[in-house]
This record gives sequence, structure tokens and C-alpha cells, in this order.
Amino acid sequence: MRHTLRFTGVGGQGVLLAGEIMAACKIKNGGYGLKTATYTSQVRGGATVVDITLDDEEIRYPYANEGEIDFMLSVADVSYQQFKNGVKPGGIIVVDPNLVHPTEEDRQKWKIYEIPIITIAKEEVGNVITQSVVALAITNTMTNVLPEQSLIDTMLSKVPPKVHEANKKAYELGKKYALEAMAADK
Amino acid sequence: MAREVISTGNELAAKAAVEAGARFFGGYPITPSSEVMHVASDLLPAVGGTAIQMEDEIAGISAAIGASAAGVKSFTATSGPGISLKAEQIGLAFIAEIPLVIVNVMRGGPSTGLPTRVSQADIGQAQYPTHGDYASITLCAGSLSECYTETVRGFNLAEKYMTPVFVLLDETIGHMHGKAVLPDLEEIEANTVNRERFDGDPADYKPYDVPMNKPAVLNPMFEGYKYHVTGLHHGAEGFPTEDAEQCEFNIERLVGKINTVHLENGGLDDLPDYEEVDLDDAEVCIIAYGSIALGAYEAVKKLRSEGIKAGLFRPIMLWPSPIKRLEELGKQFGDKIMVTELNMGQYSKEIERVIKRNDFTTLLKANGRPIAPAEMVAKVKEMM
Repeated sequence: MRHTLRFTGVGGQGVLLAGEIMAACKIKNGGYGLKTATYTSQVRGGATVVDITLDDEEIRYPYANEGEIDFMLSVADVSYQQFKNGVKPGGIIVVDPNLVHPTEEDRQKWKIYEIPIITIAKEEVGNVITQSVVALAITNTMTNVLPEQSLIDTMLSKVPPKVHEANKKAYELGKKYALEAMAADK
Repeated sequence: MAREVISTGNELAAKAAVEAGARFFGGYPITPSSEVMHVASDLLPAVGGTAIQMEDEIAGISAAIGASAAGVKSFTATSGPGISLKAEQIGLAFIAEIPLVIVNVMRGGPSTGLPTRVSQADIGQAQYPTHGDYASITLCAGSLSECYTETVRGFNLAEKYMTPVFVLLDETIGHMHGKAVLPDLEEIEANTVNRERFDGDPADYKPYDVPMNKPAVLNPMFEGYKYHVTGLHHGAEGFPTEDAEQCEFNIERLVGKINTVHLENGGLDDLPDYEEVDLDDAEVCIIAYGSIALGAYEAVKKLRSEGIKAGLFRPIMLWPSPIKRLEELGKQFGDKIMVTELNMGQYSKEIERVIKRNDFTTLLKANGRPIAPAEMVAKVKEMM
């Protein structure tokens, strides 16, 4: 079973790391995972897209096939508008409502959840850099593509020990908000 | 036992260089190849080697050529604009016969072009990166694992044929992050090629006094074996000459030690120059290399699931090109060949030259974006 996920933001937001963690976790569990990033030559502010493909069988082509993406998370409107059409009809899109503004038409086409990812990282965790871990938790809670503990362990292996606690907290908060968003939807 | 790692193509190229015996890196950072230098600067000091970021691209390759002349396996890494800057020194390495591995992680051009975006537009540049006559060895990695194995191969070919060798990656394959299976270090070390050396009386040493189609025998500098290194045409001891017969011999030998040997021996080493997927019973042949081949594997699968028997021919050694096999494919498939590449047809022209026909289909793109499997499938369906 192939899962295709997409993270979009702008350069410097750290969306690359979350993709790397997911691919690494899938590989550690005996499968195949690929992360590919496309970004502009702007150091800050350019639209960035990270495609993550997870499969039990070997993956060759590292980019998401447009129109086949199961799940997208976006923390910048410029990237959201540019890359949303890769998501399959009925697919899940999570946006930070303070930064991304989906149209009514979008809401008909996809299942859109609004979670203030950056605010959670900044105000509740206390460190804006943890937004990629908040995003990671939301993604896995909503898609259930990876074993949770293994994903947390992989994440912790990729961040410095001094920020382990902050990132654990970020994961818990991301999970909580994702569960609440899904419950409210029912 | 193979090793399984999670890495990127750029990181694997640097790791491969060090494990193939490289102990010197000279270069200058450039997107999308900078990580090769980052990793080289981590790994080399740990094994007693040196990585230097020089003041520019030209100085980077110059330092690497100097280190190689001193007997240290050396490499540099860059992207297309860097190769343009390094062109003059690449010529020096060709004529002076100094082994060197040049990793080029291709991005959109010409000039500074599209720094962060994928391209395969340096295929022609790799064949003729500098003025004059010579023959290039160019390898092109088509997977994360090959970023490692083809870099190792590059070092072994450089030492065997005393020449610069290009290892082409592209932005996609250089930056993609996933699983790679690598040969064991013992296996790499057991197959390592080191340049020949002359062990006789230093008074008898003539490094360039070698027969037609054989490489020079360059002992490391500073060990008592004296010779002259120059970009000018030179005689047996390396001193400049304009002797007509000598100059003709030099050029025929520089070209012949690669191209003639490749043709006569059916390759430059025992490793595969290409990969074939599902070609035996195929009715249509896709030709793709590097990261574009990654999409082609999926296109072949998809076409077969829809009843179209497609196959893939993936060149790994681009220069010298797999002439004999391409000729056979030209006869076997007729006009049912589709060449797909991220440029305006640089390798398609080589295929046209070899099979002496231009009735095949091409799927080309040069805007910094990859070619999706769906585009290949649609193009093949148009042909059927």
C-alpha cells in the first residue's frame, strides 16, 4: 500500500525535517520511504514542497504523482495555492488558519482541517522550531501510516538531546489537536 | 553482507569517495552539490585526509589536481556553472593525465540558470568540458545506491586510465533522501585500483613514454622520480614539444586509451555500462538515465499493466556511450524507441548518431521540473 504525503511551507520553516523523519521511520520498520524537496533559490520566503512516499515495496520515482496525494499539510498560503491540486479529491488537507486561506470550493473538494500549528509551537510549546514536530504528530495521527512510538523514537534521534522534552511536548500537543479536529468533524 | 543506510545521493557520493581511497577534496560550495563538500569535510579529517574550501571553483580543482599529482586520490564536486569555471584545469588534467573524480550535481542552465532545480543539461558538457581533443569517461548515477557505487567506480577508472572522470548526479538524486544498499567496505577495498608506478632507476623514468592506447605512468611527485607537468604537448619526460609526430601520437593516445579500449574490450571495466528492464519481450523501448529513469521504471510497470509491453534501457556509463548495444536496440525496436531526458536532446543526438536514424520519439523537458511517469505513459501510447 502506497501512501503519498506532502508538506508545504516557505523556506526556513523546517518542513524538510518532518519529511526526513517519516521516510526514515518507514525504512526502520522494514519498508521503503523517500523524501524529496523542491524549493526556490530564495533563502527565506520561497515556496517549498516536500513529498514523502511510503510503501512496503520499493519506490523508484521520488515525487508525488499529481492528483494522487492522500494528505497535505500547509503552513504558507503561497505554497498552499501552488501545490494543493496534487491532492486527490476527498484527500485530507491540514492548514494553519492564521496563514493559509482555503476557498469554499477547496472545502468542497477536500477534507480541510484548520489547526494553528505555528501558534501551538510558539505559545504552547514555547519554541517555534518545534512546529515541524507538531506537524509530524498531526500528520501521523490523521493518516496512521507509521507506528507512533517508532516515529517518536526516530524523531528524537534526529534532534539534539537538549530539546527532547520540548519536542516530546510538541508531539503530544500536535496529536491532541489532531484528535480534537477529527472529533469535531464527526 | 551489504550495508543498508538512510541517506541522500550527495552524502553517499562523498562517503564513496572516502571509502574508495580519496584523501583530498578541493572545491567551492554550489547548489545543489554543496553537501558533497560538507560530508567530505566531516569524513576526510577523520581518516587523515584533507578537505579544503578554496577561494573559488578554479582554485578548488587546481588544489585537487595538485594533490593527485602528489599521489593522493582526489576529488572535487560542483554543478554546471562550476564545471564551466573549472574547464581550463580539466583540460590540464586530460593532457597531463592526472587522475581526478569530478562530481557534477546537475541543475538548470545555461549560466547560473536554475540553482535549486533539476536538469540533465550537462551531458554534452561532460563529453567535451574543455577545448581540444580527448575522450571523457562519464558515469551517471540512477539510484541512491549508484551515487555510491558509481563514485567508487569513478576513482578506480581514473586511476586505471589516468584521466579525470565525471560522476553525474542531478538535483533530484543528489538531494533525495531514502534507503540505499551499499557493498561492504571489505569488498570496496578488495577491488580498489591504484595507479601504476615505475619502480626502476629514477634515471630511466619516462612517464609519458608509453605505447599507443596506454595511459601515462605517473609516480607521485616528491619521491625522487622527476618529470615535468605541463598543459603543452610534451614528450616522454613531460617537457614541451611541437614535434608533429609526437603531437599526433599524443592525441591519438589520449582518445584511444579510452574510446578504442572501450570498443575493443567491450567496456572499460567489468561493471555494467547499462541496465535493461523487461526488454526481452518488449515492443517499445524507453531510454532514460539518471533520475529520469526513476520515473521510467514506474512508466514501464504502468504500461505493462495496461497491456503495452514496454521495457527500459538505462545507460550508466554515458561516455563512451554503449555503442554496440544501442546499435542492436536500434535494429530490434525500429522507430519504437522513446528517449526521455531533462534537456533539449543532448543524449538523443548521440543515439541518433549511433543508430543512424532519427525516426524515434523523444520526451524532453528543460524547465527545471522532473518528468512524471504519467507523461511517459501518455507519450508511449501516442507511439503505439
